[in-house]
Amino acid sequence: MASDQTSSLAVAAAAPAVGVGRRLGEFTATYGLALVFVLVMVLFGLLRPSTFFSAININTILVGQSVTAMLALAEMIPLATRQFDLSVGFHLGMAQVLIVGLQVQYGVPWPVAAVAILLLALVVGAVNGVLVARFGIDSFIATMGVGTLLFGVSNWYSGGQQITGNNLPASFTGLTGIYLHIPLPAVFVAVAAVLLWIVTERLPVGRSLYVIGANPRAAELTGIRIERHIIGTFTAAGFLCGVAGIMLGSLLQTGTPSVGPEYLLPAFAATLLGATSIHPGRVNVVGTLLAVLILAFSFSGVQQLGAPFYVQYFFNGGILIIAVGLSVYAAQRRRRAATAADTSLELKAGSRPAGGEGRKADGAIRNPG
Amino acid sequence: MAAGGAARHSVAEHAMEAGAVPTLAIDGLTKRFFGTLALDRVDLTLQRGEIHALIGENGAGKSTLIKCLAGIYQADGGEIRLHGARVEPWLHELPISFVHQDLGLVDELSVGENVALVSGFPRRRGLIDWRGVWSQARAIYAAMQVEAPDPRLPVGTLGAAGRAILGIVRALARRSEIVVLDEPTASLPEPDAQHLFQVLRTLRASGKGIIYVSHRLNELAGLADRVTVLRDGRKVRTARLADTTPKALVRDMLGREIGMAATAHAAGGASQPVLAASGLWIGRRGPVDFEIAAGDVVGLVGLRGAGQQDIGRAIFGAVRPDRGELRLDGVPLSPVEGIPERIARGIALLAGDRGRESAFSGMSVQENMLPSPHIGGEAAWRWVAPGRERRRIAARLERFDVRPRNPAALIDWLSGGNQQKVFVGRWLESKARLFIMEEPTAGVDVGAKFAIHQLLRDAAARGAGVLVVSSDFEEVAGLCDRALVIGRGRITADLHGGDLSVDNLIACSSMGREESGAD
Repeated sequence: MASDQTSSLAVAAAAPAVGVGRRLGEFTATYGLALVFVLVMVLFGLLRPSTFFSAININTILVGQSVTAMLALAEMIPLATRQFDLSVGFHLGMAQVLIVGLQVQYGVPWPVAAVAILLLALVVGAVNGVLVARFGIDSFIATMGVGTLLFGVSNWYSGGQQITGNNLPASFTGLTGIYLHIPLPAVFVAVAAVLLWIVTERLPVGRSLYVIGANPRAAELTGIRIERHIIGTFTAAGFLCGVAGIMLGSLLQTGTPSVGPEYLLPAFAATLLGATSIHPGRVNVVGTLLAVLILAFSFSGVQQLGAPFYVQYFFNGGILIIAVGLSVYAAQRRRRAATAADTSLELKAGSRPAGGEGRKADGAIRNPG
Repeated sequence: MAAGGAARHSVAEHAMEAGAVPTLAIDGLTKRFFGTLALDRVDLTLQRGEIHALIGENGAGKSTLIKCLAGIYQADGGEIRLHGARVEPWLHELPISFVHQDLGLVDELSVGENVALVSGFPRRRGLIDWRGVWSQARAIYAAMQVEAPDPRLPVGTLGAAGRAILGIVRALARRSEIVVLDEPTASLPEPDAQHLFQVLRTLRASGKGIIYVSHRLNELAGLADRVTVLRDGRKVRTARLADTTPKALVRDMLGREIGMAATAHAAGGASQPVLAASGLWIGRRGPVDFEIAAGDVVGLVGLRGAGQQDIGRAIFGAVRPDRGELRLDGVPLSPVEGIPERIARGIALLAGDRGRESAFSGMSVQENMLPSPHIGGEAAWRWVAPGRERRRIAARLERFDVRPRNPAALIDWLSGGNQQKVFVGRWLESKARLFIMEEPTAGVDVGAKFAIHQLLRDAAARGAGVLVVSSDFEEVAGLCDRALVIGRGRITADLHGGDLSVDNLIACSSMGREESGAD
């Protein structure tokens, strides 16, 4: 109650500045992450001018973070429809074990192994989707279960031992190499991001995903086949997990069954942090990538300042909480903006001659948090 | 509380004649926003045992007035007196209860728990005393002389009227003597509303003062004692309801005469009907047989649960009928088809529950108008150039008069009426053959209502069929060429021409009970 009163008051008091203030607010809401990114670069660039901007440092970060970025993009797709995929980390781990294991233990050429892993990834994703969409199992539970099963498969296949990748072909290890100063894994991420951006921002099918996330019942009544879309999102997420796993295998050059689960949280954090910007309130490609970069560069900067390795857990955990906190705050702000928009419209309606269709101020009195 | 036995009007009238101090007196209330007057010296008095209707178009100042009473806004001028003593709602909470359209009930909890959420949970030795919770709820209903439902029943199982009554009873339980009702019947079908009115009359007889905000003028007769009309922030007049007519009230609200547009519609003639339903059974109820001719606006009305909504949804593919045949332009519709196939064939459905079934909250007006490629029959994987879509949206906002004309505005920022225009616009632009419109103007003010009706007539004039599923009899009588009254899943009456009147619709839908709102 009190906060409602203050916000109404503030709106009334800040009358002339409302246009500028709101536009500034919208600008920071949209480009907040980009600003933070620039700040991070400037800050650490000034603190560690010799090392932070070195090509080696930047390329190390880009290569190291490409797996996280790919996974964050994978996570983003089901999250657009408000479904969680908690299996991405385990799935990544399994793909990584298999890509190395199939080559080392069975002598399968890597492209063949990669195709098999990607096909399997599609199947795993589709299973997630079917469990969620057709059987109506809560996505949190279904994907946690499937993920744990995958973790079991990784350990079963490898006997819980690390598979050492001796004599892996250069064409495979080169997948995560650097050519002409450009790290190849970053190129893979860029390609996936561009495709995903086109789908989510420019194709009707992408809008359908957000529409399902906003109100599934209403989406159904506009003819959108929810089941098909949700299965599709999990399948696409599975595919990207497979790609990320192959990249990780090439990077580590070993198949380690314990690797994977720790990638879930950073990917999640980046996706949710990304949802606070560009399109505030919804997961989006550009926001997600910006968030991955911010997390990576600021962590690298802190490391160069001498922070120990475990700081990264504080980083990821803290960011997850801050990201969700920010998005909650943004939602509150928007609700207040709705009240403000309501009020200013009432005035316009009031000043118009009679018969002008006005608006309904009722929303404002009913909605406040 | 007041002793019973007083005749209906006597409490308030007696008080007025005796020159008693009114329970609530608002005197010259003024509220300015950014230099514009939202309320301009508004007066209003509320007597003990009076139902005082407050009407006006959206933006007339009703909500601002209520928010000043609730202490959400601080008035810039004028005063509010309670029993003659000046009060400042901005600073102190007044003994006034506010009941909004959205009642704020928790469906999963019981009636008793919902009451206790407001009145507090009775406790014994620090733990909740459940027997106390149930008896508290019963006592509150008894104090208002309203028949109580079982307090252990989940609120979700109550009917719409029961929920509204619970909202009011619960609010009044806080020993307040004044209750402000904000469009309490907007979503209630006619008979439920009648039930609620009966409760309001009981409350009036017990001496409560009620301010009743409404859009529906016909429901005031026999309910309100006096009515105050606001327009552009000013009070136009306060009158005893007996001394005025709905037509005069509309004139006061709009400041002009309303010309009931007698739009001619394309003659259906003997041509093939757009839709033909024969032997349709839904949920073991039926059979239903009817046809909709091209250019016809047909109403489908009935009491809550009579099955009129199911018929519309069966045509749309959202409900699977048990058996029967549907033909669109003579082509049979396969019963296994779902919503996407029916949309592709040219059937559109505007869902009645705006919040739950139409709005994509948190998304823009643009996205809410073009949420799904299916509606326009477009490909899901086709590239959409942002500029082209912007132009398309701009044209639609203009055509459907959505305010503000800002495609990037979130749908949540819009008023209910403007949201509805967006959802109507979502469907009406398509080249559908049959438009099924559930409650197309629920909660919408007079101006927007007219605009939406005109759009529906235009669609019919272009040769489509329009099926209006509505519990607003006034709307059906005014808009439709023909109305089918549904009772227990069957057509009980087919009214057209001079027979299509509000009185007849009420009479036919309540099956034999000729007298409608009499008490």
